[in-house]
Amino acid sequence: MITEFWTQMIAVIRIELTKTFFARRSIWIYLLALLPASLFYANSIYARREHERLARVASEHPLRKEVLRSIRPGLTVDQVVQTLGEPYRKNSREFWNGRPPQRHERLTYFYTDGEVEFMFFINDGVVRNLGRGGASQTLPQLLLVFASVYQLYFIRLAIFFGCAGIFTNLIRGEMLDKSLHFYLLAPIPRPVLVAGKYVAGLFATAVIFSASTALQFYALLRGFDSATVHEYMQRDGWNHVAAYMGISMLACAAYGSIFLAAGLVAKNPAIIAALLLLWESVNAFIPGSLKMASVVFYLQSLCPIEAPPDVTIPPALLALVAPVERVGTFTGIAVMASLSLVALVGSGLLSRKLEINYSAD
Amino acid sequence: MNPDHITFDNVSRFYGEVLGVNRITLSIPPGITSLVGPNGSGKTTLLNLMTGLIHPTEGDVRVLGIEPRDPRKLFRVVGYSTQFDSFPRGSTGRQFIYSFLRLFGYPSSKASVLTAEALDVVHLTDAADRKIAGYSKGMRQRVKLAQAIAHDPQVLVLDEPLNGLDPLVRAETLNLFRKFASQGKHVFVSTHILHEVDMISDQFILMSNGYVVAEGQIQDVRSEIREHPMQVTIRCKQPNALASKVFEMEHVVEVRLHPDGKGVLVLTRAADLFYRRLNHIAMGDFGIESIAPADDTVKSVYEYLIGEESQR
Repeated sequence: MITEFWTQMIAVIRIELTKTFFARRSIWIYLLALLPASLFYANSIYARREHERLARVASEHPLRKEVLRSIRPGLTVDQVVQTLGEPYRKNSREFWNGRPPQRHERLTYFYTDGEVEFMFFINDGVVRNLGRGGASQTLPQLLLVFASVYQLYFIRLAIFFGCAGIFTNLIRGEMLDKSLHFYLLAPIPRPVLVAGKYVAGLFATAVIFSASTALQFYALLRGFDSATVHEYMQRDGWNHVAAYMGISMLACAAYGSIFLAAGLVAKNPAIIAALLLLWESVNAFIPGSLKMASVVFYLQSLCPIEAPPDVTIPPALLALVAPVERVGTFTGIAVMASLSLVALVGSGLLSRKLEINYSAD
Repeated sequence: MNPDHITFDNVSRFYGEVLGVNRITLSIPPGITSLVGPNGSGKTTLLNLMTGLIHPTEGDVRVLGIEPRDPRKLFRVVGYSTQFDSFPRGSTGRQFIYSFLRLFGYPSSKASVLTAEALDVVHLTDAADRKIAGYSKGMRQRVKLAQAIAHDPQVLVLDEPLNGLDPLVRAETLNLFRKFASQGKHVFVSTHILHEVDMISDQFILMSNGYVVAEGQIQDVRSEIREHPMQVTIRCKQPNALASKVFEMEHVVEVRLHPDGKGVLVLTRAADLFYRRLNHIAMGDFGIESIAPADDTVKSVYEYLIGEESQR
């Protein structure tokens, strides 16, 4: 009997995988998954060009970082030029200010040590502000950006909506297509059918989103020289990649099981998805143990890099990024696995009462 | 409970407040059973109850002794061609049947062979590798039929299987049903093409408003409808004399000459008595060539019991 169930489940998985991977309706899920990777890739192209440009400038106007850092607000333009020499580029702008209006001049002097671009903003011949530009991102900084993007966008939106799209369609989508009855006309126990559909959905989403995670890492690292990348990969890199890919899979398992059940119980699972999204979003503001009643809390706890509090994220969004107290890796994985199992078993039981009544759906 | 029968034991099904079927009790023997009734009479509900696609609110359904809630056993013996004209997206005819058979747990090679056989039976071999979305209505009906028969079930349940079929394919399909029935199998057909029901049915079930109005063999049902006189057509050489003779019988309420002048139509309230007396009359010099009941058809019964206006 077990062999028969297994054969039937594989048949379900094969059918569902074909539908999921190659369906036209899956295109937006691929786009959701690929969006952050493409942004990191674009950033890496920009970063490489900037590195090359600054290195070229530095070879023509060699300056040390310590000398550049010695420039302070209050120095005159002559003192700056005396210390650093003429800038490799400068901007000039006139403006009128005061009563009666008087003419002022604002200069921006650009220097580089080959890695970072320094900008000195000079008003009426005196340095007022200092700035950094160009390819100023270091690998640790970019990893923090990745951590924020991963927790804010990838888990909460890309994986969430990707799983909602795929897993609710496994049952409810076929109800709407009026094609679910073909499954129910075969001698396959409904819990086996549900399990097969879940495994297919999980496989599809896990492949799509964990591949996207790996791709994001590749795109992120592409902007750095091979020595920097090698050093990082030897130290933490592989662990980070494996951890993030694992979290992506776990997120697919957890959200997938919830959305599969939603597709079974609700005529419009989008309402459940919206409520869950709302709960997951406001969860960070909820005090105490209620926080732990969300998927994203455990997923964030498992992330190897905490999203930084000092990145340029609006304060309102910043509260969403980091959980107040993280749970351990084992607890996080165990809770997610248990949640998935409970939701799957519940779906299996619900499926026994499933009826084909397309006109009512 | 007969293990060869399909049984409904006081089965009711409600959709919220709306009645689907009510207090259905049936015991259906093997053979071709036609399910007829107007739109919304509960025909599809009955078929879906039989195949476990919906569950009864009350009562018990068994198909060859199997409870429809047990798909593992049920669909080894049941094949169902539904009325739903929708298919898995992007499937070809062959992929559709093959995937369905794989769900039975058949190995790939056997599923392929059974797929080819089923498609051959419904004459879809040439179109097997085309997308179903590009099939005509008749072809879609045939591929559904192929799906229903592919695993050689004992019970074939068919919801409006003749819709959209051209006359030639329709005749072949009816022959297929007869072949199934001749093997001692059940063929349960919901249809509104009443004259074809007469041609093929061993028994019929007439439904209206969720109730079974009549069931059994058509002649038996017809003879029970006493408010409508039985009609008998007699082809003969002396219709005028014969008309006069049969009208002497008190239970004969009307005699009409056939428009071609070569027979009479007799309406009687006592068919058995009429046939007995007719044996004596036939010995007279009326040149009787044939005697045939004119209204023991499903169509007639349908009209008598449900009314012509409600016929689909």
